[in-house]
Amino acid sequence: MSHTVSSGCRRLGASGRSAARFAIATQHFANKIAFSWLVALIGATGCSAGELAVTVVDRLGQGVSEAVVTVAPAVPRAYRQSAATAIMDQRDLAFTPRVLVVAVGTSVEFPNNDTVSHQVYSFSEAKHFQLPLYKGVRHPPITFEHEGLVVLGCNIHDEMVGYIYVTDAPFFGKTDSGGMLNLQELPGGDYRISVWSPIIADPSQTLIHNVHVDQHETTTSRIQLIRELRARPEPRPRRTDWAY
Amino acid sequence: MEARRYAACLMAILWAGFATADDQLNVVGAFDVRWVHSAGELSYLDGGLGTLRFDPDHEGLRLGRAFMASRLRLSDIVTLHTVVDAYGDHDRNPVDLSEFWVDVRPFPTNAIRWRARVGAFHMPVSLENRGAGWSDVYSITPSALNTWLGEEFRTIGAELEVRWLGASSGYLGDVALIAAAYAWNDPAGALIADRGFAITDRPSTLFGGLGRPPITFYHEMDRKPGYYAGLTWRRHDRLEIRALRYDNRADPGASTAAGGGAWRTRFSSFGARLEPTTRWTFIAQYIDGDTAIGAESLGYDQFLMRYHAAFGLASLEWGRERLTARFDSFGTHQLRGFFGPPSNETAHAWTAAWTHDFDDHWQLVTEWIRVLSRFPPRSLFAQPSSLPETQTQISARYRFQFGGRAWGLIGGLQNN
Ligand SMILES: [Cu+2]
Repeated sequence: MSHTVSSGCRRLGASGRSAARFAIATQHFANKIAFSWLVALIGATGCSAGELAVTVVDRLGQGVSEAVVTVAPAVPRAYRQSAATAIMDQRDLAFTPRVLVVAVGTSVEFPNNDTVSHQVYSFSEAKHFQLPLYKGVRHPPITFEHEGLVVLGCNIHDEMVGYIYVTDAPFFGKTDSGGMLNLQELPGGDYRISVWSPIIADPSQTLIHNVHVDQHETTTSRIQLIRELRARPEPRPRRTDWAY
Repeated sequence: MEARRYAACLMAILWAGFATADDQLNVVGAFDVRWVHSAGELSYLDGGLGTLRFDPDHEGLRLGRAFMASRLRLSDIVTLHTVVDAYGDHDRNPVDLSEFWVDVRPFPTNAIRWRARVGAFHMPVSLENRGAGWSDVYSITPSALNTWLGEEFRTIGAELEVRWLGASSGYLGDVALIAAAYAWNDPAGALIADRGFAITDRPSTLFGGLGRPPITFYHEMDRKPGYYAGLTWRRHDRLEIRALRYDNRADPGASTAAGGGAWRTRFSSFGARLEPTTRWTFIAQYIDGDTAIGAESLGYDQFLMRYHAAFGLASLEWGRERLTARFDSFGTHQLRGFFGPPSNETAHAWTAAWTHDFDDHWQLVTEWIRVLSRFPPRSLFAQPSSLPETQTQISARYRFQFGGRAWGLIGGLQNN
């Protein structure tokens, strides 16, 4: 899955506030679903923003794809809750995408594009829920109000596992097939980068990196993992006659 | 009478239509027609001693199996499962029930998930029969081990599973403990004692029989329930390991007025399935146990037989194709008892299968099986005790689904 990040920049008058608007267009199989959200950065002046290019590589220097990267200012600031929406689909007896990263406050829709029913649940601390996904029955989206990792399971198909990574960081995304993620429109300053993936085995404290982003410049950050990657947990694509 | 039957049918169809509309009822089914070529002896299904389903007297175009497996959702956590079968081989009931159970699965609120099954169903041993209606997805015919489990066993009772959902909370995968109590399985063992192992895709149905004269399996004779207990470890659907201990706790001295006796049957079973890549599957299973009939007081006159079966399977899947090769090894060893020559069987078998999917409905499966067995009771029929048997089948299988594909399309459109 590829993310293209485009950005616009707009002055918000003499109040000294600026807003950065990020639009992430996600190519979602046959459907193009565009969603965007608004993050208000308090205290930053002007519209002079930098760029941050993060690369996550394994022990051998190979890019790690589908890793969640979140970037938050080193000095925490207040952000408005996101009103964004996102989609966690069910296809071929698997959560699609396997890993979804969303801002706190995002509402996630759970469609079911399989020919069988699913019963999605999570008992993670960040969100407890139970969601039967029967055919032809639409369910309201689920809002994720708390940051943290939400592990999804299916009560019918025990082998289905999915992840929703809920973050309060203003900048985030997933690495591409080369392990790269480009974030734009970052106000200059000190930031803290965190990396997460179900296949990364490194202890979490080693996955936090501090970086300084200069205005008008592209800052690069290369994060090399110290432990071998875990096997990818995704199940094999199943033929439909195997389940019902 | 006829009119009432038609009215009931019409009602059922109407109800099914409403139920499928919101995915309350989901039905999958298939029927397969086969061309069979056989070189071997008369199948035990037709009164012979052959270990395969078909024989030179039963060749050509045959109905393999027609079945419907349905799942009716009674609530979010309760579903009713039904499997109805027809094998077209003059069984007592042309259409019969093979499985019928209620599944209760509360949503997990922590890493422990409880699940209960009540009814009549297959015990969780076979790693080959993972298709709807307990069908083998790797070839037409399951291994000798799983053939036997399909023939003589059905859990008629209750099973409780407690699963630690490691995959949803960590990375080690799931661990499940399974325990079941059941009745109506006292004749289990009669077939293996009489015939040894076989390699067929002809499991018993709940109210039918197997062989000539037919043996029926689901009777209670001693009012003593049996049990099994097992352990499953699954790592991300790539590796599954199962162990199970079965004991029907039958009183081998018990018998019915009709003349049938209770067989005390116990075994231990181990199995592993490894799917290292998206293409390869490897399965190995092993079973070892014994069966006895006749009161313990008979001493050496009590019939007691040990048996073991194992197989290894490798399967390669790409696109619409699947190739499977399997090696079976099995045998029985009579330790006590007096009737006839000792019915010790020593055998091995090779199976090769090729599956081609034309589309979601049509599938062509070609399977070749060769069994080489040594079975001394053949001498009673003036046959050499060691015999090879070969069976080739080309099966055209049509699969259908309602509450599925067609509705899935509509549901998918609605969801986007
Ligand atoms: Cu599911």
